Amino acid sequence: MRTRYNELLTCFSLREVLKEDESGSLKATVDDILFQAKRKRVFEGHGQVRLGMMRHLFVIIDSSRSMEDQDLKPNRLTSTLKLMEFFVEEYFDQNPISQIGIITTKNKRAEKLTDLAGNPKKHIAALKKAVDGTCVGEPSLYNSLNVAMQTLKHMPAHTSKEILVIFSSLTTCDPANIYELIKTLNALKIRVSVIGLSAEVRVCTILTRETGGSYNVILDESHFKELLMLHVKPPPASSSSECSLIRMGFPQHVIASISDQDAKPSFSMSHLDSTSEPGLTLGGYFCPQCRAKYTELPVECKVCGLTLVSAPHLARSFHHLFPLEAFQETPLEEYEGERFCEACQGELKDKSIFTCQACKKVFCVECDLFIHDTLHCCPGCMQTDRTS
Amino acid sequence: FRLNIEGLLVYFPYDYIYPEQYSYMLELKRTLDAKVCYNPFIKLISSCMQYAYPLEVTKLVYCSRTVPEIEKVVEELRKLMDYYAKQTGVKNDFLALALSSRKNLCIHPEVSSLRFGKEVDGKCHSLTASYIRAQHHSNPSQPVCQFFEEFDAVGRQVPIPPGIYNLDDLKDFGRRKGWCPYFLARYAILHANIVVYSYHYLLDPKIADLVSKELAKKSVVVFDEAHNIDNVCIDSMSVNITRRTLDRCQTNVETLQNTISRIKETDAAKLREEYRRLVEGLKEANVARETDIYLSNPVLPDEILQEAVPGSIRTAEHFVGFIKRFLEYLKARLRIHHVVQESAPQFLKDIYEKVCIDRKPLRFCAERLRSLLRTLEIADIADFSAITLISHFATLVSTYSKGFTIIIEPFEDRTPTIANPVLHFSCMDPSIAIKPVFGRFQSVIITSGTLSPLDIYPRILDFRPVTMASFTMTLARTCLCPLIVGRGNDQVAMTSKFETREDFAVIRNYGNLLLEMSAIVPDGIVAFFTSYIYMENIVASWYEQGILENIQRNKLIFIETQDAAETSMALEKYQEACENGRGAILLSVARGKVSEGIDFVHHFGRAVIMFGVPYVYTQSRILKARLEYLRDQFQIRENDFLTFDAMRHAAQCVGRAIRGKTDYGLMIFADKRYARADKRGKLPRWIQEHLTDGSLNLTIDETVQLSKHFLRQMAQPFRREDQLGLSLLTLEQLQSEDMLQKIAQIAQQA
Repeated sequence: MRTRYNELLTCFSLREVLKEDESGSLKATVDDILFQAKRKRVFEGHGQVRLGMMRHLFVIIDSSRSMEDQDLKPNRLTSTLKLMEFFVEEYFDQNPISQIGIITTKNKRAEKLTDLAGNPKKHIAALKKAVDGTCVGEPSLYNSLNVAMQTLKHMPAHTSKEILVIFSSLTTCDPANIYELIKTLNALKIRVSVIGLSAEVRVCTILTRETGGSYNVILDESHFKELLMLHVKPPPASSSSECSLIRMGFPQHVIASISDQDAKPSFSMSHLDSTSEPGLTLGGYFCPQCRAKYTELPVECKVCGLTLVSAPHLARSFHHLFPLEAFQETPLEEYEGERFCEACQGELKDKSIFTCQACKKVFCVECDLFIHDTLHCCPGCMQTDRTS
Repeated sequence: FRLNIEGLLVYFPYDYIYPEQYSYMLELKRTLDAKVCYNPFIKLISSCMQYAYPLEVTKLVYCSRTVPEIEKVVEELRKLMDYYAKQTGVKNDFLALALSSRKNLCIHPEVSSLRFGKEVDGKCHSLTASYIRAQHHSNPSQPVCQFFEEFDAVGRQVPIPPGIYNLDDLKDFGRRKGWCPYFLARYAILHANIVVYSYHYLLDPKIADLVSKELAKKSVVVFDEAHNIDNVCIDSMSVNITRRTLDRCQTNVETLQNTISRIKETDAAKLREEYRRLVEGLKEANVARETDIYLSNPVLPDEILQEAVPGSIRTAEHFVGFIKRFLEYLKARLRIHHVVQESAPQFLKDIYEKVCIDRKPLRFCAERLRSLLRTLEIADIADFSAITLISHFATLVSTYSKGFTIIIEPFEDRTPTIANPVLHFSCMDPSIAIKPVFGRFQSVIITSGTLSPLDIYPRILDFRPVTMASFTMTLARTCLCPLIVGRGNDQVAMTSKFETREDFAVIRNYGNLLLEMSAIVPDGIVAFFTSYIYMENIVASWYEQGILENIQRNKLIFIETQDAAETSMALEKYQEACENGRGAILLSVARGKVSEGIDFVHHFGRAVIMFGVPYVYTQSRILKARLEYLRDQFQIRENDFLTFDAMRHAAQCVGRAIRGKTDYGLMIFADKRYARADKRGKLPRWIQEHLTDGSLNLTIDETVQLSKHFLRQMAQPFRREDQLGLSLLTLEQLQSEDMLQKIAQIAQQA
């Protein structure tokens, strides 16, 4: 999170620099537009919208010949996979009750790297392994979307179904008319977003527009990362999606010592899939419904299908529902008052200051971004709450 | 919203306006009582239209080039009128319509199924000519066109209800009423407020005489896409005669002869009547011209009208004999083995010496033939196109001593062994065809996106412009990226110069450029070559070198050919490939069909590559003659004209990619000669402005880097709000003081 906020800062200062540059009008205007879009993005979606908290996301990674291009260092594939690792971690951090799956496409074929699952470790391991893969042939948008769709269409209607395509090539090799597939995706309410690594491709524009996703093209690595991070936040749920109550289990962690007579060592259920975990353990999480044992949360119970989470997980996704209001931006000259930031206590030197609408405390740019991106609560308000 | 332009209220149907549009309207307002020469970027149709309305100019004649263009104009107009009606609440009796050929308008089930325009015209004529219909009265089995009959019976009395009609609307209306839409439209243009049709209806003397001669003097004439107007003028006045034409003419003459002898037996009075008419001369036509009802026909000069048809060709037999002699003379002339070039007076002198044909009867040839065909009640005019052509030639050659040249070539340059003699009667001076238009109408507006440099147009068309202005584009982001690629990565200069065009290294570098671009440009790329032969050579060479195969890994390749059907098929597939993400390259030719009439909006053309400078084929004798004429008459140096011509075509080609402010595209000029000041300076202003020193004489690698960067920048989200205030204005913004000042700078008086 820290890095992201640093990027926003650099962008801020970049803008200042470029504004003075008369000749480089192109870059200045485009950056200006970008910056405005970014600020808007930070604050848009605030207000009471329903968010799809239970997400099923398939990430499609293009592994075609064009991924060998070295305009991202060391090459597009390595750079992308690195960022993906980070993304997966971040994703589960923010969406604890969601799942992710990874698909790669090359040589006109699509291949499922990992299935939809809620455990980051497995995905990250798969991503690490994929670095050594070769990039050959052309990608197939149709085939990969189809693979993702086959799984996603069985997901319950109250969950948010998403596909994120990281598309490096400028062409796609499809076995059938992709517009038919887009229609099907639209009917199934699967949202497809695309991050392009080279340029704007028409078919992606249509794909994202029809399915309600977003389409962005990267400028450089840091912009890539930023665009990827946009997909960490849960998207607003479509109004037509069902509401339903979901049964969830909150198993308590049982810690037993060897000295305890009742404790019997046992295997966890996840041991069935992988042998990398330690075998017999005493403690763990026990499903409140069927008493199956797990060593990690969140997980879907293999026996009875109950979603098992811990309370802190749910709490962590809480801030998405009640985001902090945007602070009001005012030029520094117009502000009359003591010129120091409420949060960092530094002197206010930037062109504009930010005022919290609730407690009327002022903040500097850096703190404003930090509060909205990381803290999700206003320090000023917290203080007043306590004192009153 | 409503705008107030220096006291004139203009209704504008959109919520936003481009600053250029405002500026254009301003200029238009200031100068709308004379000839104007403009250079806008965007189609400013609606502003012209607006203009017509509040000023209550009786009539606006809007000439465009292709049928799709015409349709576009009509759609704009419809929007404007809807808006106007909504604003004022008055349903006005405003009539606007599009006119096109019979082929596009015919609703007769049999006739409309024919494929070629000429066939449709001929068939139509055989069903609607006056004597056919007269015969139908006595003999009902003679087929006629029921739509025309219906129209003729009632259509003229009942005016067409006010509204906006495009071609399909006219057809619908015709079907509903059972009237012929073509004749309906032709009749309706007389009282329509706005007429939209092709240039030829005004410039080509043969057609203009039929269609446009009764247009009111107070009309305002607009030529859109007029960068090629001089060529259209020249084409409309030039005649090419091949041996085939002469053979067909021979048949025509025989038919005429037979018909005459037949009629003589049955109805000699008819011929006598004609003779009497001809003695009286063409006085009738003269009267009409003096009262200024008609558009003067350049083929028919004033003097002719005052005289009677000379006695030597007054009777039908004599005339046919005369034509025969003329024909034999032409045949003899075509039987040569070396190239001959001579002026019109030389030709006349020769014809007098050889076959004793005087200048005077020649001048009346066209009129006399027309009269004869009418008298003989020949049904199918299309069959007589050959003899008509010859008669036109006779009249033209004897009428104009200046501005024309005659070139007889015994064979084509490319195939010197095959005898294929052609007589070119070629017009050198575009001002001859356009003069009646300038002379007659109150205001003439010439406008196009690529009129550049402006000052050459008044010179070659011989008029004094009241206002000339060129406009830049205001852009919220730099959506065009012109790059001049001069070298390959191996530093070999890239050029289509004649001496090096066969060079292996040059061809390879061109191939590499296309290959590299195909890997980084999304969706569609359009590549233009200087000629079909050059394209064929290069593509063959690329195939041998394996470059083509590599390109096909990135994109599909389509090629424009001289066959229209094949080309439109290729175009369709090209668009399909762009649409579904496969990506495609269209290889086409500057001056071809693709470069002139087809737009590659958005993803259909993300990059245009211009391989070489599209100079016209300079060895052509017709061109040489024209250059000589330009130098002697207008003091335009050959080189200046050639460069001007090449650059306007290059601009036309690359301009295909950008068709609006939200569009973006690369423009790659792959020839080092583009970097020279004389070439660069002749590009339109809106391209020049974005051509910085950093984008000249690049290598392929540099081009790829710049393009990649540009494409990424352009792919960033771009919304209407970003444009507002910069390149898109609301009414409030328009009225602010400093915006008005900025707008004043957009129009550059040339």
